[in-house]
Amino acid sequence: MSAPGPGPGPIAVLDYGIGNLRSAEKALQHLGARARLTSEPAEVDDAAGVVLPGVGAFGRCAEALATSGLRAPALAAIGRGVPFLGVCVGFQLLHASSEESPGTPGLGVLDGAVRRVGGAVKLPQMQWNPLVRRGPDSGLLAGLGPSPWVYFVHSYAPEITADTVATCDYGGPVAAASERGNVWGTQFHPEKSSATGLAVLANFVARCADGAPPS
Amino acid sequence: MDLLAAIDLRGGAAVRLVQGDFGREQGYGDPVALASRLVDAGARWLHVVDLDAARTGEPVNRAVVLDIAARATVPVQSGGGVRSAADVDELLGAGVARVVLGTAALEDPDLAGELATGHPDRVALGLDYRRRDDGSLEAAARGWTTGSGRTVAELLDHLAGAPLGAVVVTAIERDGTLAGPDLDGLAGVLGLTALPVVASGGVGSADDLRALAGLRVAAPPAGGPVRRLAGVVVGKALVDGRVGVEEAIAACATPG
Repeated sequence: MSAPGPGPGPIAVLDYGIGNLRSAEKALQHLGARARLTSEPAEVDDAAGVVLPGVGAFGRCAEALATSGLRAPALAAIGRGVPFLGVCVGFQLLHASSEESPGTPGLGVLDGAVRRVGGAVKLPQMQWNPLVRRGPDSGLLAGLGPSPWVYFVHSYAPEITADTVATCDYGGPVAAASERGNVWGTQFHPEKSSATGLAVLANFVARCADGAPPS
Repeated sequence: MDLLAAIDLRGGAAVRLVQGDFGREQGYGDPVALASRLVDAGARWLHVVDLDAARTGEPVNRAVVLDIAARATVPVQSGGGVRSAADVDELLGAGVARVVLGTAALEDPDLAGELATGHPDRVALGLDYRRRDDGSLEAAARGWTTGSGRTVAELLDHLAGAPLGAVVVTAIERDGTLAGPDLDGLAGVLGLTALPVVASGGVGSADDLRALAGLRVAAPPAGGPVRRLAGVVVGKALVDGRVGVEEAIAACATPG
């Protein structure tokens, strides 16, 4: 059983069979982080941090994660306190369920369900939109300006809860980012949000480095 | 109104043409470096066109397009030689946010409709036009080397109902001239479709961008809110430094 906290290995970007996920890996590497797309449970067990990307339908991603054998290692990493970042549908997967795929469970790590974005708006939201901060200072948003613009592509979003650290306005407030201990999540795509997105990833990389053994 | 920074590819390099004339080309070097420069300057969208592929259908610059899309830390829209489902799948699979169909839509609109249906909001219609004497807008194909004999209005009508993400409208005669956009042509297109309309061609100044941002047209007979442009593609004015990226974004945000 692995020791608590970040492991000695690179940040593991989970490759669980849902398509090309290289942009998250490349963005992290661009920041100078050791990061690798991986489908190996052992690499997740040793990782300094874990990124769970996701595109497409919640149900398909949840099933693919289970089939890939990475669901249990991901949950174990979360339980060990390893810094964990869910992005887009990966963020949605951190929740217990989604209206998009009734009956298919998510990881159930963050409170609330994922719901279709409401209001008289065109879906998917496929645009840049500024974040509106919520709650006290957030590690995920540290150093970003007051109204950081980020890029969204989604039709569903988690309910707003006590862990929501930012929303965007799209037919009303829509959850855009959450933070709960070592678990972070963004509905927007930090790897496609230019300097602001890279700053969010840099905040995550810094968390992965805290507690890593000296190299 | 979004600003999309344009990168046109020919023979692996970034270029800008004038009015689509392959004989009037200016070079801008390494396209990946240009993409980085534009994003570092604040561009939030890139619009990458494979000019060689647009003309011939052979995706000779595909590897460069895929490289730009993989490296870009902003969404990338791309067109030029996208003629099949395999092309669409390859580009979207590599992280391109939206593919633009020009020739394919003109020569096989039913295929274009199917591709849009298969990838809702990820396929855009590229309508590049020249004005006819009667004022109608004739769509051009194959890197603008062939008039199609069809008008913009006919094509929009044929594809009404397809889940296209946008219509990208280029005034061929304005493109690369810095002479200002064709506001009348754009106003006409806005009145013909409920789809998001992205303008391209002729932007030479921040004032041109403000004029585009302020363009308003009453909705088609079916009703709905007043129509305005969703975005603008700017090529030469940005790469030549006539307008800075941040200045351009501010000009695009003109309220109304």
